[in-house]
Amino acid sequence: MIYHTLLFVLTAVFALWAVMARKLLTSAIMLALVSITVSLIFFDFGAPWAGVFELSVCAGLITVLFIGAVSLIRDHDEKRPENRSRFHALPLAAAIFAIAAWFYLPAFFEELAGWARVGNGGGTIGLALWEMRRPDLLGQVLMLAAGVFMIKSIFPRRTQK
Amino acid sequence: MNVFALDWYLIALIMFIGFYCMLASRSIVRQLVGLEIVSKAAMLALISAGALTNNLVYAQAILITMIVIEVVVVATGLALLVKNFRLHGAADIWNLDSLKG
Repeated sequence: MIYHTLLFVLTAVFALWAVMARKLLTSAIMLALVSITVSLIFFDFGAPWAGVFELSVCAGLITVLFIGAVSLIRDHDEKRPENRSRFHALPLAAAIFAIAAWFYLPAFFEELAGWARVGNGGGTIGLALWEMRRPDLLGQVLMLAAGVFMIKSIFPRRTQK
Repeated sequence: MNVFALDWYLIALIMFIGFYCMLASRSIVRQLVGLEIVSKAAMLALISAGALTNNLVYAQAILITMIVIEVVVVATGLALLVKNFRLHGAADIWNLDSLKG
C-alpha cells in the first residue's frame, strides 16, 4: 500500500513540477515522468496492457511530439517568457484545495466505493478487445485516420502559381 | 480510510493541478500539458474503478481507446501550435481566433 500511495504522490509531484517548470522542455520531460509513474500504477493495479500502452504511447510518442514542438518555439519562448506570477500561486492553491478537500472528498469517495457492484472479471483482454469490441476497433482506426487527415488539412501542400 | 478513497483523493488533486494549468496559462503548449495531466487523472480514476469492481479487463479496453484519442488530440493541438507559430510567430492561444473562417 505504501508503494501504491507513493506512486500516486509522485505523480502529483511530477504534475506540479510540469506545470511550474520555467522551461517548456523541462515541462515536457516532467510530463513523461508523470506518464511513467502512471504506467507503474497500472502495473501495480494488475493492468499490464494499459501500462504497456501508456509507457510506449504516452511516455514515448507524445513526449517526442512535445519535444519536437517545443524545440520549434523555444527561442521565442526564451525571448518573451510568459508571465509566471499565476504559476507561483499554484502550490498555495493546491495546498488550499488539498486541505479543504480532505474534509469532504474521502468521505464522499468511501460512500461512492460502497456503491460498487463487483463484476465477474470479464475474461481476457483479448476477448474484450477482439471479440466484444470488434466494431469499436473500426471506430478507433477511423479516429486515427481522422487525426491524420486533420493534420494534413492544417498543413496543405503549397501550390505554385 | 479506504485505499480507493485515498487514491481518488490524490486523483482529484492531480486533476486540480491540470485544470489550474489550463486556466492560468495562455501558451498552447502549457494548455496541452494541462490537458495531458487531466487526462492522466481520468485514466487513473478509470483503472482504479475497474480494480474496485473486478472489471480490470473492460477498464483496460476503454483505456486503450482513451490513449488513442489522447494521441490524436495532442497531435492535432501541436499541429495547430505549429501552424499558429508560422502565421503569427507566437504560441499564444489568443491568436488562435485568427484561424476562424
